Amino acid sequence: MLAFLARRLVQALIVMFVISLISFSIQDNLGDPLREMVGQSVSEAERQQLRDELGLNDPFLTQYGRFLSSAVQGDLGQSYFFKEPALEVILAKLPATLELTFGATLLIIVISIPAGVYAAIRPHSVLTRAILGFSILGISVPVFLTAIFCIYLFSIELGWLPSYGRGELVPVWGVWETGYLNKDGLLHLILPCVSLASIMLPLFIRLIRSEMVEALHTEYVKFAKAKGLRKARIYFLHALKNTMLPVVTVGGVQIGTMVAYTILTETVFQWPGMGFLFLEAVNRVDTPLIVAYLIVVGAIFVVVNTLVDLIYGLINPTVRLAGGDK
Amino acid sequence: MKTNQILAGVVVAGAIAAGAYYFSGTGEKPEVAKTDPAPVTTAASQDIVLKMAYDADPVSLDPHEQLSGGTLQMSHLVFDPLVRWNNNLQFDGRLAEKWERIDDLTVRFHLRKGVKFHSGNELTSTDVKWTFDRLLSSPDFKGVFEPFEGMNVVDEYTIDLVTKRPFPLVLNAATYVFPMDSAFYTGQDDKGQSKDLLKKHADTYASRNHSGTGPYRVTERQQGVKVIFDRFDGYWDKQSPGNVDEIVLTPIKEAPTRVAALLSGDVDFIAPVPPTDHKRVDGTDGTDLVTMSGTRVITFQMNQERVEAFKDKRVRQAIAYAVNNEGIVKSVMKGFASAAAQQGPKGYAGYVEELKPRFDLEKARQLMKKAGYEDGFSITMAAPNNRYVNDEKIAQAVASMLAKIKIKVDLKTMPKAQYWPEFDKRSADMMMIGWHADTEDSANFTEYLTACADETTGWGQYNSGNYCNPEVDALVKAAGSETDPAKRAAMLQQVEKTLYDEAAFIPLHWQNLAWGASSKAGVSKVVNVMDFPYLGDLVVKE
Amino acid sequence: MSLLCVDDLIIEFPSRHGVAVSVKGVSFQVEKGEILGLVGESGAGKSTIGNGIVNLLSSPGRVADGSIKLAGDSIRNLDDEAMRKVRGRRIGFIFQDPMTSLNPLLTIGTQLMETVQATLGADKEAARARALELLDAVGIPEPELRLEQYPHQFSGGMRQRVVIAIALAGEPELIIADEPTTALDVSVQNQVLELIRKLCKERDVGCILITHDMGVIANTTDRVAVLYQGELMECGPTMDVLERPQHAYTRSLISAVPRVDVKVHRFPRVEYIEKAESKPIDVKNHWLGVKESFGSVENGELLKVENLDLRFVTKSAFLEKNRKYVQAIDNVSFTVKDGETFGLVGESGSGKSTTARVIAGLYRPDNGRVMFAGQDLGALSEKQRRPLRRQIQMVFQNPYSSLNSRMTVSDIIAEPIRFHDLAESEMKIRQIVNDLLDHVGLGAAAGKRFPHEFSGGQRQRISIARALATRPRFLICDEPTSALDVSVQAQILNLLKDLQDELGLTMLFISHDLPVIRQMCDRIAVMKQGGIVEINDSDSLFANPRQEYTRNLIEVMPHLDHLSRDGLDVEMPLNKAVV
Repeated sequence: MLAFLARRLVQALIVMFVISLISFSIQDNLGDPLREMVGQSVSEAERQQLRDELGLNDPFLTQYGRFLSSAVQGDLGQSYFFKEPALEVILAKLPATLELTFGATLLIIVISIPAGVYAAIRPHSVLTRAILGFSILGISVPVFLTAIFCIYLFSIELGWLPSYGRGELVPVWGVWETGYLNKDGLLHLILPCVSLASIMLPLFIRLIRSEMVEALHTEYVKFAKAKGLRKARIYFLHALKNTMLPVVTVGGVQIGTMVAYTILTETVFQWPGMGFLFLEAVNRVDTPLIVAYLIVVGAIFVVVNTLVDLIYGLINPTVRLAGGDK
Repeated sequence: MKTNQILAGVVVAGAIAAGAYYFSGTGEKPEVAKTDPAPVTTAASQDIVLKMAYDADPVSLDPHEQLSGGTLQMSHLVFDPLVRWNNNLQFDGRLAEKWERIDDLTVRFHLRKGVKFHSGNELTSTDVKWTFDRLLSSPDFKGVFEPFEGMNVVDEYTIDLVTKRPFPLVLNAATYVFPMDSAFYTGQDDKGQSKDLLKKHADTYASRNHSGTGPYRVTERQQGVKVIFDRFDGYWDKQSPGNVDEIVLTPIKEAPTRVAALLSGDVDFIAPVPPTDHKRVDGTDGTDLVTMSGTRVITFQMNQERVEAFKDKRVRQAIAYAVNNEGIVKSVMKGFASAAAQQGPKGYAGYVEELKPRFDLEKARQLMKKAGYEDGFSITMAAPNNRYVNDEKIAQAVASMLAKIKIKVDLKTMPKAQYWPEFDKRSADMMMIGWHADTEDSANFTEYLTACADETTGWGQYNSGNYCNPEVDALVKAAGSETDPAKRAAMLQQVEKTLYDEAAFIPLHWQNLAWGASSKAGVSKVVNVMDFPYLGDLVVKE
Repeated sequence: MSLLCVDDLIIEFPSRHGVAVSVKGVSFQVEKGEILGLVGESGAGKSTIGNGIVNLLSSPGRVADGSIKLAGDSIRNLDDEAMRKVRGRRIGFIFQDPMTSLNPLLTIGTQLMETVQATLGADKEAARARALELLDAVGIPEPELRLEQYPHQFSGGMRQRVVIAIALAGEPELIIADEPTTALDVSVQNQVLELIRKLCKERDVGCILITHDMGVIANTTDRVAVLYQGELMECGPTMDVLERPQHAYTRSLISAVPRVDVKVHRFPRVEYIEKAESKPIDVKNHWLGVKESFGSVENGELLKVENLDLRFVTKSAFLEKNRKYVQAIDNVSFTVKDGETFGLVGESGSGKSTTARVIAGLYRPDNGRVMFAGQDLGALSEKQRRPLRRQIQMVFQNPYSSLNSRMTVSDIIAEPIRFHDLAESEMKIRQIVNDLLDHVGLGAAAGKRFPHEFSGGQRQRISIARALATRPRFLICDEPTSALDVSVQAQILNLLKDLQDELGLTMLFISHDLPVIRQMCDRIAVMKQGGIVEINDSDSLFANPRQEYTRNLIEVMPHLDHLSRDGLDVEMPLNKAVV
């Protein structure tokens, strides 16, 4: 187990190193950060002087070396816009993004499992057709439109839900402000979570349905029937548990991808999270922030995949994590 | 409305609706979104709160860090200037009660007495002088104050602004002087930095703390999330009708979300409103749209160094005749702009009433023929795609219009972050540039956009066309030290005429400004063409 | 009153193209404590009957007519809940593959106890006690420990024991065992069958044993019912049926069973199953008969394998010392003489297929040499090796996956001819392909069709035709018939024998099935855990096994003493006492 985690840590470091190298080497193509920092009438000479101050005129290797040497001490540079260490800025926004992703994931789990299982058990029912039709619709509508539509309907026309932001937050342990502990925060969570979930939901419904169909055709399900077990136990223990194996694997990757989709969702809903921050950083050419974001997202990917592997190992007894017990 | 709701309710996935409905409580519907803190609450006992959404929030609380719309909007809330523009483009005294010209080089300002900073300190000429000196060291602002020799303190409430040469725009410059609390900004902060440190990319004291004389104090600020402004009890202007106790500013970058926030009642005031949503904002009960012809001009420049043909006046004129900018205003901008034939808008000193858009395709073709380019030629064109309203569509429209006089255009559009470095390199034959004069004065356009490029003066810094006419430069320079408004106006009008005749650039339009607001907020009284609403004077109906 | 009375049972599979009737009016009875064998080949409907009795037919199958009575109660047309109470409680089920019939994600304990709880309504404690008792009864040691383990921690035989325990959990009156030992090695097969038999007798439980294997029928059942294409051919006491088959089909089936007691020249009467007419060609004057020189065959030794070693990495690691290996081939040496059939036999995992693949050049050995016609294949360059490679061809076990489903049969067979440039014109190629198809008994018309249009046996003929298309000298047959029905197997084995006679082929024949090996091979090597235990000529090996391991293998083979010898073309009689 320790060896497994240690190997993952090394992997994470390599991933982050590569990301930093790539994002560093493309930063010249992102634009000129100075433009967003100065007014229109500032002369080129002044701008050059500022560039010198920021070290932007140094050769690539010098800049990257400087970045690396402070990065190993946990300093990923200073955001031009926020004037704070980029890592701190991002970590401050992390809870918002995680709460959004968590909510969306919860929705996906709560909806896709019953829907997928139902569609597998009753392949010909009207409801199944409705579920599958809806999921095709979901796949083909871009998240941006879903979001705008939701806002239009629930905020403007019906007036049930707020249109933007996180609402009132409740501090937890002093480091985390959550929207899950009061009504206003929860109301604000609904639309963004639904929009974000709408991207992945169809995929998961279809995945669970097809895996479940497959599981229902296995010998052990037939054997379970022959044993005289009740249907509920056959469906929800024997079949579903096996269904969840590939779903967990795919799910891990998809939840990582969802972090990327938060960029769109957060922008539409003015959700003060990392994704929104990233888009802003790109617009402002806040290079240190862009680099730090990419590195943090890389780390999240590694962490999520590690968790997925751990969960997979819990569900599937035939998998022993390499270097693990026994 | 009722049928709409029913229809919509049917369309929607039941689960989502049910969940939302559940959370909305008992089902007495629109209540929920409007729970505390109540926006524009009218109960007498409660504070009046204005929730507003802009496309961005101020970069810093330091008024000298960046010369931008966001900073000026913030400055008018938290600080107060010596003088400020009114809607007739004249000046109202604020911290300067009155002023007089003493000689060709000096204007004397008399400060208002008894004005308190947020810290409780009283405003004196020392603070103004301190502020002015700090402005001269600001990379962004020192250009505005270049003509000034300095500021002299006459007595505790009197100061003299002295220019290097006779200078007509002293008051224009004075609108940028937002006195800061010199005592508050003196000393060292807990990081060991000087409190008055002015640095763009650093965590300075002044960028996070403030003490001004303005109607509001910032009580909470999460950059990119929200800023809360509280009415300053000790505000000097007791005449101000303003009755808003608290302003919550939220940046909402996405225009549709911003509009939705207004329409759903989540906020009371938004800007800008995209042209496509004007009708909805205007047509919805309870919200108003306020529009105003703006001062930012959008133009194309023709690079004479890259394209030989552009050196020929007739070719430039042909292009000017070929571009139907009124058509662009109508179809691309949905009427949300005013077609332009010159740089400065109406109300500016150099504005010439007779200069009109001159779309005439036949004439354009003749001019091309005369110039020997009957068969046309190919050029490259570049424009940003997220800087100006509809910038990409405008460029596409212009490109297709040029095709009609057989100029083939290879158009490239890109995000502003990438566009500006390209613009600096002058990397395309025709490039789009929009300009708003920081001084609200005609000369500023020419100095930056059409003057001969000169690194020592900084003139022509944004002249990607490399148009150079020494006569124009001379006129603008002379206007720069002409203090007689009439004579000066004549000079600047001559400049506009010359540029028009020579087709120095292709004027398109001035962007309009639009604000959307709850009908309860009397926003139309406080907005202005400079787009820094004087929210201190905002009255919300009770 | 019989325990189970099935009368005039009809099972249908309705579909868009009409109704397929897979069981056509079958009747039989099972008594308490009796084991009834249902035997037949694929498509006979034997599993369908088993599933039909407890209504586990896969959709859209249904019992259309007939009656099913369990101890006098009709159990046909029961509703779901009532049928659920029959399953497990009154009728226990054992499936073919213990690898797939146990849920891999649940412990053995869970799967046993849930059955006990569902069928006997016991509480958790009681269920656990019963589970332990059952595991003990089916001969699983340390039941306390085993209860907490997952299926993958059990061997195949142990798993089948668990499945049997589960089938017995509800104290059923009847057990239906559907091919319970087909997926197991021979040595394990006997133990499992013995267990089923013992438990049935002890507990006075009736049993239906569904199998395609005459050996299993002969050794385990009391009575046997022979099915062919959904119809009951004959039914009677096992010994009577085997020794004096009444029906032509039964006789045909029995004669197709490879046996160890006698070696036959060809299997007779197998044409009952599949029409296959081979048009012999005049090999001497045909393209197929052209001999090419490709090296010297010293002392008649065509293939010589010396000290082969091959290991697979089971756990990769950066450091050498942390890696783990399994020794797939361990110091294997043998020679194959020109024109003979050399057999490799052993249980699963013994390394026989891996050895074949090394010889065919699909794996590179870690150590050792493969000498073909006097040349070391490993020492030659790819280009030098090609003409030799062409002389060695392979026929694989699974005819379903070894043919490209998107090519016509003609193209599949022509491919190696084109690749090696063996014929001068396209016309000639077509002629050769047609002759080959005729020769393997498919007929030239088969060339225009696609593999999926053929049955398993026909596909194996296509594979053989393809292997012959390079005019090989040496044919490697890796379990060529183990996926096929016994009658089809007999046909294919006949074909191989015929081809060998005509073309003078040398063959390496690999099988886990001792009787098949016995019928096919001149000399045999017995493999165990990657190494060779013993090499001997076939008759001596079966008559006088020198090694303990070989002796055990031969002992656990199903004993088929009672099979009718009607119509067999016996090559040479064997001393019966040795078997």
